Amino acid sequence: MCSTSAVSSQVPSSKSDAPGRTSTSTIEFPYTRTLGPVYGAFLTGMRDGRILGMPKADGSVLCPPTEWDPDTGAALTDDLVEVGPGGEVTTWAWVTEPTRKHPLDHPFAFALIRLDGASTGLLHAVDAGAIDAMHTGMRVVPRWKDERIGLITDLEAFVPAADGGGGDA
Amino acid sequence: MSDTTEAIDPDAPVTGMDYFMSLHYREQICPVVERFSAELMEGRITGHKCPQCGLVYVPPRGYCPICVVETTEADEIVANDRGVVTNYTVVTPVAYYGQEATDPFAKVSIYLDGGGSLSLQDVLDVPADEVRVGLRVQAVWAPLGERTVDDIGNRSWGSAEGAIQGWHPTGEPDVAREDLPNQGGF
Repeated sequence: MCSTSAVSSQVPSSKSDAPGRTSTSTIEFPYTRTLGPVYGAFLTGMRDGRILGMPKADGSVLCPPTEWDPDTGAALTDDLVEVGPGGEVTTWAWVTEPTRKHPLDHPFAFALIRLDGASTGLLHAVDAGAIDAMHTGMRVVPRWKDERIGLITDLEAFVPAADGGGGDA
Repeated sequence: MSDTTEAIDPDAPVTGMDYFMSLHYREQICPVVERFSAELMEGRITGHKCPQCGLVYVPPRGYCPICVVETTEADEIVANDRGVVTNYTVVTPVAYYGQEATDPFAKVSIYLDGGGSLSLQDVLDVPADEVRVGLRVQAVWAPLGERTVDDIGNRSWGSAEGAIQGWHPTGEPDVAREDLPNQGGF
C-alpha cells in the first residue's frame, strides 16, 4: 500500500555517510473478530484465570475447545468445563531467538500441554529458563498476567511445576 | 477498532477480540531514487527521458516501461518546478484506524512545463473544492535546512513532501482542457 494510506506508514531511516538509505515500512490491519459461543467462553475463562475445555459424549475433553467434534463434525454444545490448571508437556520445541511477535522476549519453548482433565494438547509457551529444563512429560502450571482482558496471552506462559514431574527425557 | 469498543463491563462475557495484523519490513532504497532524492535536496526535480520514445519520467524509474529500455543518468533531465494540474482527487477522510486527516483534502497530478509529471501532490492555499484541472502552479520548496528526503521510499510515486511542501497557484489563467498535454498520469 502506498504511504498515503492511513493504515500504512513508511518510516525511512537515513544516514548521510551510509552507502545507501534504507526505508522501513509497517503495514497494519486492525480487525475485531467475533468469537462465537465457544471461543468467547474460553477467552472469558482466560480473563477470569480459568482454563476451560469442551466435553464430548465419550467423556473426553477438548482443550482448546472447539464448536465441532474434530472426529465426527457433530456440533458440540455442552457447557465448558474447567481443566488444569496443571498439565503435562507432550511435545515441545525450543525457541532460541524469540522474535518481537513471540510471547516472551527470552528463549522459551512452544509446547503442547495436555491439561489435567483434558484429552488434547493446548499450544502455549513454557518459560523454563533453559532448554535443559525441558523434557517431554514434565509437569507445568500456568503463570497468569495480573491484568487480563480475554486473550490467550492472558495466560502469560506455563512454568515448570514446583513438584517436578516424571516422564522421559 | 472504535465503534465496537464500548464501555466494557469487566465481568461481561468476552465476545470479540482485537486482531492486529502487522507486516514490518526494511528495504534498500534503489540508486535511481537515491539520485532523485539527492537532486531534490539541491532544489532540482529530475527525471529520465527515454532515449527511444522521448517520454519523460519524473521521478526517474531507470527504465521506460513502454519501450522496455534501461534509462540512466545519461538520460537525466532537470524538470521545471512549474506546471499545470492535470488531474486530482478529493479525499474525504473517514475516521478509520490510523487516519489523521479530518477535513477533505485534494491530491493532484501536475504536468511540469517541458515534460514530466508528479502525482500525489498538495495544492497550497486553495480549498479542496476549488482545486481544478488546468490550474497553473509552482513548487513551494521547503527551506534549506528544513528540507528532507527521508520520507521518500521506493514506492513514493513522486510524493516528496519533505522537499516540496506543496504547489502554489501562479495566478496565471487556467490552461484550457484542449491545451493540456497528452501525458496525464505519468
